[in-house]
Amino acid sequence: MNPERWQRLLEDVTAIDGVRGAIVVTAEDGLVVHEAAVEGLETGDVAALASVVVRRAEAIATASGDSEVRLCTLSAEKGIVIAAQGEHGLWLVAVTEPDVELGRLRLMLGDLAPELG
Amino acid sequence: MRVLEPWLAEPLGELVRESSARLALVMTSSGQVVGQHGFTRSLDVMAAAALGAGILATTGELARLVGSDADFGAVVHQGAQQGVWLAGFDTPRGRWVALVVFGRNSTVGLVRMFFQRFAARVREVAPMPMPDREVLAEGFERELDASLRALFGGG
Repeated sequence: MNPERWQRLLEDVTAIDGVRGAIVVTAEDGLVVHEAAVEGLETGDVAALASVVVRRAEAIATASGDSEVRLCTLSAEKGIVIAAQGEHGLWLVAVTEPDVELGRLRLMLGDLAPELG
Repeated sequence: MRVLEPWLAEPLGELVRESSARLALVMTSSGQVVGQHGFTRSLDVMAAAALGAGILATTGELARLVGSDADFGAVVHQGAQQGVWLAGFDTPRGRWVALVVFGRNSTVGLVRMFFQRFAARVREVAPMPMPDREVLAEGFERELDASLRALFGGG
């Protein structure tokens, strides 16, 4: 995939009301591969921490005999972080306000994440 | 964890804890060790400090050769089981270097993030340098011994 296509994909996610940023992250090393975010969102920090959550979730899934993790949702008082598994160890991560249209966003991330890679 | 000066203990401890580092070394850009975590032999620390400072100096020169105004910031070596993060940062005491060795339970991104916080915290809490003193031959060995004891313990 080329960077222009990634950019369009991320812009599709950030077009949803309440989404503050969308980031393509490598779970293996917790780095930002591509991003579209509002100013002030520390995407590097989000990528680093999201990769930890994803890896822990994968470890839990393995330990409990479940299949692979496809989607991780972290809800907090002031926002939500959702990570959807893509190809080649890439994850599509969205950072949102608490009142985002969560159902629509989850569907979109699930559809778009496999297009990474 | 061992530090040469007590104020370094809290930021270095946080870096090690939060990034799940296996080993950590903080040194001046000339390779003098000011803090370490995880090393058990002084010889290993001295070798790692010299190599780390050397690698950073080399990459800085490489950056200059390819036309960069500043150095590369950080150098990462990533292996199958562990990685090494090596980066310089400015402090009130001059430019220092941190070397962090991390395993598969951490990531480059995580180490990078907590290294940035560590560097900011060091800038915040580091006291200003003491005025230069004359180093006398009779005091040199005593001070060197004191530094080694602080970093490795023992009598």
